[in-house]
Amino acid sequence: MKSQDPDQEKTIKALHWQEFSFPLGLRAAMVKGSAEGLDLALPDFHGQGFTLSFINHKGDLRIKTGSRPEDREQSASPGLGLMSVAGRRIMFRSGAPVSFAALVLFIPAGWVRLFLGSNPQFRKIEQLLEEEPNVLTCRLGRRQLSLLSLALAVLTEKELHLLNVQNNALSLMEFFLCNRHRSLLGVNPSSDIDNEDDLSLIREVESYISEYYCSDTFTVDSILKKTYTSYHRLNFLFKSIHGMTISEYIRNKRIEKSKEMIADNVKSISQIAYEIGYSSISNYILAFKKVYQITPGKYKKQIDSLA
Amino acid sequence: MSYVSLENSENFLKCFEVIAEDKSCIISDSVLYFSGKTGKGFITVGGIATGIEVLAVNVSMLTEDLTIRFQPSSGATSYILGFDETEIPSKGDNDVPFNQVSSSFEKGHSAISITDAAAGRTITFPKDRIIRSLIVRVRQSSLDHLIKDFDAGTIAAILESPEGAASLSWPITFKYRLLLNDFMTEIVQHPFRELYTIRSVSMLVEFLLQQFFVMDKLRKDGNELSTQDTQSLSRVEQHLCLHYKKEFPGIEKLSRISAMSPTSLKTKFKRYYGETLFGYYQKNKLEHARKLLDSKIPVKVVATEIGYSNPSHFTLAFKKEYGFSPWHYLNPH
Repeated sequence: MKSQDPDQEKTIKALHWQEFSFPLGLRAAMVKGSAEGLDLALPDFHGQGFTLSFINHKGDLRIKTGSRPEDREQSASPGLGLMSVAGRRIMFRSGAPVSFAALVLFIPAGWVRLFLGSNPQFRKIEQLLEEEPNVLTCRLGRRQLSLLSLALAVLTEKELHLLNVQNNALSLMEFFLCNRHRSLLGVNPSSDIDNEDDLSLIREVESYISEYYCSDTFTVDSILKKTYTSYHRLNFLFKSIHGMTISEYIRNKRIEKSKEMIADNVKSISQIAYEIGYSSISNYILAFKKVYQITPGKYKKQIDSLA
Repeated sequence: MSYVSLENSENFLKCFEVIAEDKSCIISDSVLYFSGKTGKGFITVGGIATGIEVLAVNVSMLTEDLTIRFQPSSGATSYILGFDETEIPSKGDNDVPFNQVSSSFEKGHSAISITDAAAGRTITFPKDRIIRSLIVRVRQSSLDHLIKDFDAGTIAAILESPEGAASLSWPITFKYRLLLNDFMTEIVQHPFRELYTIRSVSMLVEFLLQQFFVMDKLRKDGNELSTQDTQSLSRVEQHLCLHYKKEFPGIEKLSRISAMSPTSLKTKFKRYYGETLFGYYQKNKLEHARKLLDSKIPVKVVATEIGYSNPSHFTLAFKKEYGFSPWHYLNPH
């Protein structure tokens, strides 16, 4: 739990984990302070489950995962969440003066079953973590950082209630899991976009489009207003995910829909054009031709002759 | 009037099914959606697996009152906690006539309450209101567990004392409003529903305890407020919370709403809510702003959204409250 090398311990004012046990059955260890150097391992909770650590630091910090000497060390950016299987070795190291704060939550296996097991996506997180030396990370925002420092205040203030600390810890955990969850759901590995904010923006726009694309008052401008993005940015994101501009995307959606309506053979082509949001029929015919290389009238005839 | 009666031994899931049958609603993925005929919104249950049962009600425009009654029983000791927020839907002008507000106090007003389940409890959700409510049933052992480092004995003592009412209740504050609001918007979509439920309940319990001890201290100091004062103050509180987008209404207007003199309103509000009138209004307002910032809305837009005509005024106020500017909030590193 403390530094491994006895010689080093003399020179380094070692930081110690302080353990807590929360009312809801989570256990936690916290540390906060500054030191000349750091060589701190994640505490061992002696149990099955996961550890979820939230760290923040000023100065230089490297994180080493895995127990073999050849395992790599990575320098860490301030404000991180790390999740791994309990019992796996993670070292926080620094050769220079550093101020370091960490909250480590131990989530017992039973707890996982009870609170997280009902989500099928959680299996994927578990599978990802099973592989040595995998660690899931996530950057913390300001809100999370302030939650972290609120939780850590328990180390210095005796007045603070554990319930309060627990709630801050739970909020952090929820943030971490939701963040991971979003990226598990939507990531297209082949695209070069891996920023979760961008992805969620695209999903939002897509769902907005699929809801409103048939309305004749629907414009790209209305999307921009709703999502507070610029046209160029949205187009760039759309191109990298769908390989087409946003207006092409909307046009394809409309034309696809009109194709289905033609096949239904209930409405006339001019009616269809109007219903999917085209104000002039010639525009519609041109658009249809661009997508399917055939005019809607000819397409209708083809279908009729097949029937 | 639809009426759901619940034996103490029955769990919330059962209650939930009874409501569904009564209203002929669809349940999908343990969420009950009201059809347009009977009302709008949903009811959901959670936390069954964890022993802390939660019934979340988020409805508006009910066509008839919905009543849930917990039959008194002498089984295992448990408590029923209620966190209710009731709003009168605004009809164009936002200034609710005062008589209407006071009538809403008679049944199903915004309040937090803690009841010994042994005494039974009837909860009515009135029609034509916007209702956000969490009913939590928690075994005494779990509650003790949850609040073991608080002086839990005080609550038990009051609830068990023969002369005390079997139920304690007091008005809600903006913290509850925000949390209930968040809970209701997110719970259906939330990927980790159980975790989110238990987190929210745990936070609500924390708020509840904090407020309980404030009230208890007031009581001991002989500063307990009369029922009428409580109602007046919570009218003011509700006004401040609901109209956070508008300018601060000013002491004259608030004193008219509360039917108190400005001085006594100021003193009593401070004593009861721990904040000055403006401080309370401002905290609530900025908390709304913080939420908007969390959803990646630009600072300028947020400022307009919560009623600042000048973004730099907003930045100043934000900085004063949280210690960092909105921009630094968004870019902490």
